Amino acid sequence: MSEAPVVISVQGVTIGYGDRVVQKDITFDVRRGEVFVILGGSGCGKSSLLKNMIGLYRPIAGRILYDGDDIVTAEGDDRLRLLRKFGVMYQSGALFGSMTVLENVRLPMDEFTDLGGAEKELVAAAKLNQVGLLDASARKPSALSGGMQKRAGIARAMALDPGILFLDEPSAGLDPITSAGLDRTILELSKGLGITFVVVTHELQSIYAIADRCVMLDARTKTMIAEGKPADLRDHAKDPYVRQFFLRQADPAAAATEGSRSS
Amino acid sequence: MSGEAAHVALRSEAGAGSVLALSGTLDVESAASARREIVTQVGEARPRALAVDAAGIERGDMSGMALLYELAEGRLVPGVRASIRGLRPEFQTLLSAFPSTEALAGIEAPASPGRFLTHVGAATLSMLTDIRAQLAFLGGVVLGFLAVLRHPRAMRWREVGVVFEKAGVNALPIVSLISFLMGLVIAFEAAQPLEMFGAQIFIANMIGLVMIREFSPIFTAIIFAGRSGSAFAAEIGTMKVNEELNALETMGLDPLRFLVIQRVFAGTMLMPVLAAYSMVWGVLGGVVVMMAMGFPFAQIWTQLVGALGVWDVIVGISKSFVFGAIIAGLGCLRGMQTQEGPNAVGDSTTRAVVAGILMIILVDAVYSVLTYVLHV
Repeated sequence: MSEAPVVISVQGVTIGYGDRVVQKDITFDVRRGEVFVILGGSGCGKSSLLKNMIGLYRPIAGRILYDGDDIVTAEGDDRLRLLRKFGVMYQSGALFGSMTVLENVRLPMDEFTDLGGAEKELVAAAKLNQVGLLDASARKPSALSGGMQKRAGIARAMALDPGILFLDEPSAGLDPITSAGLDRTILELSKGLGITFVVVTHELQSIYAIADRCVMLDARTKTMIAEGKPADLRDHAKDPYVRQFFLRQADPAAAATEGSRSS
Repeated sequence: MSGEAAHVALRSEAGAGSVLALSGTLDVESAASARREIVTQVGEARPRALAVDAAGIERGDMSGMALLYELAEGRLVPGVRASIRGLRPEFQTLLSAFPSTEALAGIEAPASPGRFLTHVGAATLSMLTDIRAQLAFLGGVVLGFLAVLRHPRAMRWREVGVVFEKAGVNALPIVSLISFLMGLVIAFEAAQPLEMFGAQIFIANMIGLVMIREFSPIFTAIIFAGRSGSAFAAEIGTMKVNEELNALETMGLDPLRFLVIQRVFAGTMLMPVLAAYSMVWGVLGGVVVMMAMGFPFAQIWTQLVGALGVWDVIVGISKSFVFGAIIAGLGCLRGMQTQEGPNAVGDSTTRAVVAGILMIILVDAVYSVLTYVLHV
């Protein structure tokens, strides 16, 4: 994995709302084909960082490079070209309620490709087949369960075959079986098709199941406090808060005790 | 995405028949031109057997693989099914995601529009169901009012005050403007034909009767339906979507008592006040026009008072009570009937306004017939 080229480079990024800084000096690279997880406690700014990375918000400082091109300063066609490099699945699925699931997946192809109607339908059906939703093609989003809506969101995010997929809290609100199914879909797409995933989550089981590497944000220090493989961070992180997080413990002292017992 | 082209070449191979060699980039950007090229070349040759040599494909995506799928399934050039060879494993993975022809055919079709009679039947059933729901709602509201009469403190008077402010006080500017202009317009329109008979003084009679018996109650009701009936539906509809109504029920609180009774009460009490306010402004509009025509105020006033009876005011005000109850009630009912989905609240709001205005006109027609028959 370390040989793979860097596709996203976050360099010295500070994010916030107005004068309020949420996270500062965030720096990490995401390599092609890996599943990279942004994690941290509730309210630490994970989703805000993701929204800055996908160009919805503008960071207070820093650069966010896609194959060397900065999305923060890109405008017009350059920005559109960068936006085509990735797809995004939002926390709620964000499917368009007036369209069927198939039409939702077809929409980006209608807008940005010159494929014929039958071909777009076929490719959309294949995307839905990839996430196991072919049978639900003709349904409206309101007729889908939460897990199905998220999978449909992934299918729509993949509509234009982007090399990178951003997923915001994919496991939130899902039962363990559905959540595990979603994890499997992510792994199949990542390892089978070489798609790069950037996932925002704090679901430990999902993190262990899918993450190649992760970065941890901290609300107290307002910066990233760890980067690496989840198992390494759990077992060897120096910051007690990181170990507390991975060991799912209530206070750092307990994490230290648990760590000394296991070693 | 790449901007690079796919190369298409059809050749004959000894023992293998026709071979379509694809190479380069076969992705969402190059797929359309590659498709045209393949259809032209294979369509002209119409080979009995076709093999696709895909070993030269270096980059590709799902849109590109759709071409191979269609070739293999005989969908691209009718009657020509191709065998695929040499495809890289990563592209094989993409190709394997395409569903079988049977699975594609089995995608559940959207509900068919159905026949005319089915539509009529469904619409009739829906209307009857709605009438039943309205009657049940009306019963619930009446029971709620009876409960409030027994225990006045059960009414959430603070909410009543809020509705009075939002739907009443805040509506005064728009009611003033529309009523004044309405009186003005009626006076101007009546002036010309009455002038032919030298009877322009009777503009005062017309303004008085039209504004007080009809236009003030009707227009105020329409404003109330547009401003407040829709707001009631949207507020309660949003609460339903957010499961706040469920929360009320599980807390043992009746949503009718908690949300509806005070809105219907406020609407019923508010409408006559707004209508009376509108009457004043409407008449004032007519008076201004008449004074501009040279009639002294005292003469206009005498004519106006002589033309109007107590019953005219009673008819105008009494129908406003009914309009207020109908609009507020329908707004709340449509809010509580809100379904799920992103359009649900918008649909409820529209239904509240449309049904409210329709019912206003219907009730007004009934009033007109009754007052004619009763000579009031």
